[in-house]
Amino acid sequence: MASAQNLNAVRETMDVLLEISKLLNTGLDMESLSICVRLCEQGINPEALSSVIKELRKASDAFKASESSTN
Amino acid sequence: MAALDQKSPNVLLQSLCCRITGKSEADVAHQFQYAVRVIGSNYAPTIERDEFLVSEKIKKELLKQRREADAALFSELHRKLQTQGVLKHRWSVLYLLLSLCEDPRKPSSRVPGYGALFAQGLPRDAHSTPFYCARPQSLALGYADRAGSMHTSASLGTSGISSLGTYTLNGPTLTPPCLLPQTQAPGDSLRQQLGPRLAWTLPPSASPSATAPTSRTSLGPPGPAVRALHRPRREGDDGVAEVSEVALVRDILYVFQGIDGKFIKMCSPENGYKIDAKMPLSKSLRDISSRLAELGWLHNKVRKYTDARSLDRAFGLVGQSFCASLHQELKEYYRLLSVLHSQLQVEDDQGVNLGSESTLTLRRLLVWTYDPKIRLKTLAALVDYCQGPKGGELASAVHAYGKTGDPYMRALVQHILGLVSHPILNFLYGWIYDGELEDTYHEFFVASDPTVKTDRLWHDKYSLRKSMIPSFITMDQARKVLLIGKSINFLHQVCHDRTPPGKITPASKSTESPKDAAELITDLEGAFQGKIDAAYFETSKYLLDILNKNYLLLEHLQAMRRYLLLGQGDFIRHLMDLLKPELARPATTLYQHNLTGILETAVRATNAQFDSSEILKRLDVRLLEVSPGDTGWDVFSLDYHVDGPIATVFTRECMSCYLRVFNFLWRAKRMEYILTDIWKGQMCNAKLLKAMPELSGVLHQCHILASEMVHFIHQMQYYITFEVLECSWDELWNKVQQAQDLDHIIAAHEVFLDTIISRCLLDNNSRSLLNQLRAIFDQIIEFQNAQDTLYRSALEELQFRLQFEEKKQQREAEGEWGVTAAEEAEEKKRIQEFQETIPKMRSQLRILTHFYQGIVQQFLVLLMSSSDESLQFLSFRLDFNEHYKARDPRLRVSLGATRGRRSSNV
Repeated sequence: MASAQNLNAVRETMDVLLEISKLLNTGLDMESLSICVRLCEQGINPEALSSVIKELRKASDAFKASESSTN
Repeated sequence: MAALDQKSPNVLLQSLCCRITGKSEADVAHQFQYAVRVIGSNYAPTIERDEFLVSEKIKKELLKQRREADAALFSELHRKLQTQGVLKHRWSVLYLLLSLCEDPRKPSSRVPGYGALFAQGLPRDAHSTPFYCARPQSLALGYADRAGSMHTSASLGTSGISSLGTYTLNGPTLTPPCLLPQTQAPGDSLRQQLGPRLAWTLPPSASPSATAPTSRTSLGPPGPAVRALHRPRREGDDGVAEVSEVALVRDILYVFQGIDGKFIKMCSPENGYKIDAKMPLSKSLRDISSRLAELGWLHNKVRKYTDARSLDRAFGLVGQSFCASLHQELKEYYRLLSVLHSQLQVEDDQGVNLGSESTLTLRRLLVWTYDPKIRLKTLAALVDYCQGPKGGELASAVHAYGKTGDPYMRALVQHILGLVSHPILNFLYGWIYDGELEDTYHEFFVASDPTVKTDRLWHDKYSLRKSMIPSFITMDQARKVLLIGKSINFLHQVCHDRTPPGKITPASKSTESPKDAAELITDLEGAFQGKIDAAYFETSKYLLDILNKNYLLLEHLQAMRRYLLLGQGDFIRHLMDLLKPELARPATTLYQHNLTGILETAVRATNAQFDSSEILKRLDVRLLEVSPGDTGWDVFSLDYHVDGPIATVFTRECMSCYLRVFNFLWRAKRMEYILTDIWKGQMCNAKLLKAMPELSGVLHQCHILASEMVHFIHQMQYYITFEVLECSWDELWNKVQQAQDLDHIIAAHEVFLDTIISRCLLDNNSRSLLNQLRAIFDQIIEFQNAQDTLYRSALEELQFRLQFEEKKQQREAEGEWGVTAAEEAEEKKRIQEFQETIPKMRSQLRILTHFYQGIVQQFLVLLMSSSDESLQFLSFRLDFNEHYKARDPRLRVSLGATRGRRSSNV
């Protein structure tokens, strides 16, 4: 299953996707991207996923802001 | 990667949470739960799983951000991705990336970040499904307020501006099939068609759908208004505050009602709506506004007219109904305006963003007001055309406008015509069924002259007002209508017949509603004509029945004939016999009551006594004006009194005609009478005077002249009696029997009288003939006198001679000399004297004869050259043996020349 070709292709795909992601300025790093890709491959609704990610970011920002303010 | 694939979503999710928030797993429990919830609830995506579409969207995004190079790069990457074929749900990934995309120019805060790019999209998502294009041109308005987003549209594509520029020049070509209100499916399909083309920006092609993508970004259905809207936007600068379309729409709505708006004002010198030239308004907007402002102008026109006319009471009922119908139309128009206004209100209330189903743009207004514009145009044209007239003229004017091929206009004009003609028809029905005319504003085509008294009611009181006859009522119908009403009034006032009109015509009453009127107008040939005809027949028949039964019209007509036109021969003869000694006296000694007494005697003695008393009591003697030197013959005349309804037929003019004819006939009769006497005398005395042979020459002359005269008079009498009187009378009687109404009788009667007068040489043309005839009559009288003197002297002489003879015989019987010398000498002398008078008499007679013949010849010449055929025939009869022709070369020429030809060249 995991042939060298396959692995190569996958890596290439991921590179491409990372490029695209950078183009689109999504703010996703490689790992997050790979997780997202995996989730999407499994059939998760991308809309929902994106909203989740946005929510998480918002939360983290807020957290960071509160942290910085308290600090 | 393979190992990763096998992890469950939850695990992945958790790790994602940790990764993004940068915290440990324990801390993200809350977020994790939230995430799980969200994911779980929205498991199935609601969007189209179209990778291509998504990639297009991405490209668009990039282009929107003016990153064309990046867009190209993305295309490359995407292609590579496709070739690799590792991912199964590429679209999903791409969509995810797209949705996480951020515009680097936007402020960093993420929350507004949502709104920046996807503001249009998000509310739609909030509704139901994305890409739902139920919200059309709200976008246009949205653009108006968002100066920032304007250049997004402007920046569309490298060739975007220029290509769109060409579109502005070309103008909207085809309107896309789906206008408003939009439904989802067509929009979606259209979108899908258009989506791919976006990639290659906008090649400058004329295909209209290509322009749609400009609006596609705005997510509305590709309405032409948006296209139009983009045009002005292009020309304007971003920063200048252009007059927004909303404001213009508001203004236009005011203009529709005739009120000046902020930008569009009424410019009176040019009588039009003008947009303030200083306003920063694009040309196309200006054009559209001008076109829409026309509606306001039309409305003003119609409104002004109705306002002015409604107040004018003298405009009459027809005019009022016209104004009412115009008002009705305007009300419909106002209803439309209120609908439009409410639309605008709704938009204001709900805010620009949301907007309702359909918002107002100038284009939409154009489409919606197209039908009302046609209507208003027709109304304004009618108003123009009907500026002056009123009453029937107004109806004619409106009817003239109905002659158009456009069914819409025709229906409108018919409707107005129905309303307008309703009062006219009311008048009509009141008139023909009741004889009532309540027309204060002089709108009906029957006019009544209040100054006319009842005796002239039939002839003068009612007339047709030709200008007020509507053009859909023919002249014939109008005349019939006049006649019917006249008859009813005549019956009421002159005949004092008060039968209610319902009995006369069992017809329906007047139209109850304008709808009946409208139906009647459309069926003018059939129902309307039928109504009028029925009323006409019934009323006229009734009138004639009344006249004949109650007022004995026909009897009177016959009585006229018998007495005034000398129809009753024995009566006239007897009358003349009785009157002869009276009338020989000078006119001044005559008394009317004497003559009346004689008349009565004559009536009683002849068949005239069997006439009804009604007639006899009208018969009377009339003495004409006495001129000096007149004998009774010149002033005597019969008379026939008429009154009441009969006076309508036997008007005063008619009676004077009758009297003239009577005069003429009486004279002619008198000539006949005289000649009869002469002949009588001749017959009686001929034998007696045989004893005086010297008189035979004279007597012979007398006889000849007398027979000439007799012949002449006979022919004249024949002509008068048979050719003139009898023929005309026959015609008259036929016509009267067949007459359908009183007008026919009156007309026939007048024709009769005219014929008689012209044939009896009493009219103006035949004055010379008449003079000749009079001269002939005078000659006859002279002859009579001459003959009388002749006979008298002859008889005297005879008497003397007889006496002489007697004496002689007596003396001889006594034994004396029969005749003494002295007596004989005396006798001889007397005879000599007598015989000397004979040549005198002879010459006198000769002169008389010559004179008489000259006059007759002239008369014949005139007859020959007259244009009346019967007179020409008379001349043939008078000169049947060409006796006169031989004498008069003129006659020879004229007779030969004109025989068989009609000319007056002599």
